[in-house]
Amino acid sequence: MRRFKKITILEWKLLTREFITIFFALIFPVMMLLLFGSIYGNEPNEFMNGYGTVDVSTPGYINMIVAVTGLMSLPLTLAQYRERKILKRFMASPIHPMDILLSQIIVNVMLTLIGLIMLIIVGIIVFDLKFYGNFFEALLAFIIIMLSIFSIGLFITAISKNTRMANAISYIIYFPMLFLSGATMPLELMPQTIRIISKALPMTYGVELFKGIWLGDHLIDFSLELLLLGGITLLFGGLSIKLFKWV
Amino acid sequence: MNIIVVENLVKKYKSLTAVNQISFSVKAGSIFGLLGPNGAGKTTTVECIIGLMKFDEGFVEILSLNPITDNKKLYKEIGVQLQETSYQDKIKVKELCELFTIMYEKPLDYHRLLEQFGLIDKTNTNVNQLSGGERQKIAIILALIANPQVIILDELTTGLDPKSRREMWECIKNLKREGRTVFMTTHYMEEAAYLCDQIGIMNKGKLIAIDSVEGIIDKADIDITISFETEDDVFHIIKDELNKKINKIEINNTKVKIYTKSEDVLTDLIILLRDKKINYRKIDIKRPTLEDAYLKLVGKEKETEGNATV
Repeated sequence: MRRFKKITILEWKLLTREFITIFFALIFPVMMLLLFGSIYGNEPNEFMNGYGTVDVSTPGYINMIVAVTGLMSLPLTLAQYRERKILKRFMASPIHPMDILLSQIIVNVMLTLIGLIMLIIVGIIVFDLKFYGNFFEALLAFIIIMLSIFSIGLFITAISKNTRMANAISYIIYFPMLFLSGATMPLELMPQTIRIISKALPMTYGVELFKGIWLGDHLIDFSLELLLLGGITLLFGGLSIKLFKWV
Repeated sequence: MNIIVVENLVKKYKSLTAVNQISFSVKAGSIFGLLGPNGAGKTTTVECIIGLMKFDEGFVEILSLNPITDNKKLYKEIGVQLQETSYQDKIKVKELCELFTIMYEKPLDYHRLLEQFGLIDKTNTNVNQLSGGERQKIAIILALIANPQVIILDELTTGLDPKSRREMWECIKNLKREGRTVFMTTHYMEEAAYLCDQIGIMNKGKLIAIDSVEGIIDKADIDITISFETEDDVFHIIKDELNKKINKIEINNTKVKIYTKSEDVLTDLIILLRDKKINYRKIDIKRPTLEDAYLKLVGKEKETEGNATV
């Protein structure tokens, strides 16, 4: 356990040295919030069913952070560790490379949480961001969303032969999810075609779920979303376990 | 005492037999070198010995442990350097050493190792900013932190400049002086000749020779070459006087080359040239090296297989 803690602290230090990851997980979401918040404000708005634009957008931005850590940072780091034979080197040592994989998951969860907290603090200070839901339901929804996105991330590493392939797959999945799932811009603002496309993206359901809980609905109202996100976790998590290779 | 025992090891990848029925053992406190062209099966052999790869047939024992079933116990006792390993982006020398220090129960002090290898002032440097030679020294240091009896080095010096390579040789010699057993693979004959007590030559998955450096050279049965330059016509003089002892004479303008198995020919030749009052210069004797022996043995193997690959 002492070993695992040390490894995790080291992996955290290394993660904080990755400027691009830090930028997209911590700074970019806050910039989006400030940009769109300053354009639309957070006054109750008929177009947003009587909620403020910032109140509706923030749960989406939180999904965006999960996408950065789960679909970019985690799979690309692991693919790189494998390509550079770092995982193999650890296989020939008293620790198992599984320790590295778990610590990578933990540090990316930590980064997601920090991003979420920063976003909420800026939202409260600048736009008087309001949370209408139940804290525990929101926490549960957040965990379910993270599990599903992280299992897709692990699946990307599992099926990629090298870092370049992992990069390509990550980008192909990440960008549509970012812009077409309602994470960056509410789907209400999007044309009908995009709304249809969005139905095929797992993150759309994460955004719907988290937005709903944030605005005061309950988990019980989102059986479809929960079922889909749970299914994604089981499917991609299972496939990752089956297909993942250390070397 | 044997530290590593390999008997009839076979490893197949689908249709390719990467390692085919090889057997050898490595004595405690010695340096064993595995030589062979790319794709000969050296790395596969290494990975079978240290339990990173399951093999199809045969028996492998290292430190009296089964590398597959006792692998976690084994990894506490051995230090390894794997081919082409690099490290996490932006990790510092210190951080990497600390990571390996916490893995072991009785680690060596890495500061002392860094000092010993002349890297103490690189403690806070990014590993990826080190030179190739420095990075390979780090690989040895990481292998040594476990304070292992056995060190496994897979192509440690590949890609290093000659100076760094020679520095690595001294590091490896030191490991032996400290009483450790070294099992290494290499492409460089000079390196193997300088370091290894025992050499195994692999080609196409087979172990085609295993012996000391001298033993391998003897086995290859290659002529000594004596060469000199002269303006005089010496062909018949040499042929008449030394015919029984020499295998071949080659004359190219002023350059004369004599192929023989016997070093005495040199003395006889000098006496002969002096008696006949022949002026000569640049006399030289070249004994077969490990490289000559290696090329002959590996080349022969290719011929008999009939499907040479480059």
